[in-house]
Amino acid sequence: MLCDICGKKEAKIYYTEIINGKKKEQHLCSDCASKNSSFLNFPQGDGNDLSLGGMLFGLLDSIGKQQNEEEIPITKCKSCGLSYEEFLKLGKFGCEDCYSSFGKVLNKNFRSIHGADTHTGKKPKGYESEMNRIVNELSEEDKLTIQLQQAIEQEEYEEAARIRDRIRELKKV
Amino acid sequence: MKKWYEEQSVDNDIVISSRIRLARNIKGFYFQERMNRESAIQLVNKVTGLTKDLELKENQKFYECSVNKLRDIDKASMVEYHIISPLLAEKEVETGLIVSQDESISVMVNEEDHLRIQAVASGMNMEKAFLDADRIDDFFSEKLGYVFNERYGYLTSCPTNVGTGLRASYMVFLPALNISGKIDKLAEEIGRYGAQIRGIYGEGTKGLGHIFQISNKTTLGRSEKEIIDNLEKIVDQAVLQERKRREFLLNMNGDEIEDKVYRSYGVLKYAKSINTIDALMMLSQLKLGMDEDLIKLKEPINIHKLMMEITPANLQKSLGKSIGRGERDRYRAEYINKKLPQL
Repeated sequence: MLCDICGKKEAKIYYTEIINGKKKEQHLCSDCASKNSSFLNFPQGDGNDLSLGGMLFGLLDSIGKQQNEEEIPITKCKSCGLSYEEFLKLGKFGCEDCYSSFGKVLNKNFRSIHGADTHTGKKPKGYESEMNRIVNELSEEDKLTIQLQQAIEQEEYEEAARIRDRIRELKKV
Repeated sequence: MKKWYEEQSVDNDIVISSRIRLARNIKGFYFQERMNRESAIQLVNKVTGLTKDLELKENQKFYECSVNKLRDIDKASMVEYHIISPLLAEKEVETGLIVSQDESISVMVNEEDHLRIQAVASGMNMEKAFLDADRIDDFFSEKLGYVFNERYGYLTSCPTNVGTGLRASYMVFLPALNISGKIDKLAEEIGRYGAQIRGIYGEGTKGLGHIFQISNKTTLGRSEKEIIDNLEKIVDQAVLQERKRREFLLNMNGDEIEDKVYRSYGVLKYAKSINTIDALMMLSQLKLGMDEDLIKLKEPINIHKLMMEITPANLQKSLGKSIGRGERDRYRAEYINKKLPQL
């Protein structure tokens, strides 16, 4: 099949666009696809270089661009020095800190790849969440105060009274 | 000791194997893209240094090696047996491997991620593969400390693996669906449920040997159990469709299929020279015939194992030397002639 735009080269990309409920289907060659405004971020070339890295580049870069209007992402990872452009080109991170360095733009990227942006699976054994770590570092009295607050919020007044008495005892000591 | 692919199991006429792969990275090292040679060597030593401890914990023998130091033919053979990935075989930096004696568990070091833990079970048995991989995962997690983030889970080099880092894949034999040109339709259907299907011999081979791999597409947002349960349902459907299609084809063209099966047996048993592609194609036809009781051999034979044995590198390894294509095709024919039982 020939390209719908130039009518000369073989169409290698089948493209469906749905805007405001209107569906538009096109068969395009890779040159026209990259020239066409809807494909600003499609990698140029003869189509043989459509590796996952290349696809990812187009996908992530377009999201990055949409976001750029609102916020400018950090351009380099503070630990390994990988730039955001390099990440887009390789489709790979340089170190664990890249995840926090490029954090702001990643959530949308992850949603487009995985349909989700939060892990719900396995955690390493003995892994302590940030929240637990903070709670564990609190003094006994502070911990009880938080528990007291929770008990009151849940209207468990007997439990609240018990906690209150323990706080009083601690204060005496 | 039997290798995993020599074990018999349920549904293994269609589902050949169930495989789990976990991608993990270790604290204190840059990911592959930023890792220097010294760190790569250090990491391989650190991981392979744990082999003895792993043996004690698992109560079975494990072997370790530096993959980059192996001969090309040994690497190619391991790729053909699915012990290592093509990427690991190609890498020039220090790469390591720990593999169990029955080859069902393997740990690749310095592939795309620091660790790639793989476990495989014969037939439809993802539960066993997952339990094995999960246990090995806990061992290395405790000994080495993984890079883990509350929000994104296990951090990986490529964002497509982040979260669980889990890829579950079933190797399936779908001759009837493939012959009827139904694989693209199946791919479209299972794509809607977050899975993908592809031929095992790579792009452009059009499902050579009718063997495909069905695996989950995404790794973030669902638990390991949800991913595996979902994939199992999809594979159950694929198996059902394949069985229905076989029944249909046998009713419509039973004689023609039977003829093809016997022709394949004849060529495989008596040919003097055969290339890999023809051999794989005919072996898959013979397997279909055996699975559907169209042909009876005097002794049982594991066709899938034979399919792995006759690929170029494995064939040359069993011969003990490198040989040219012409000689290889003759040796392949001789090898299959001998292995195939009489009618």
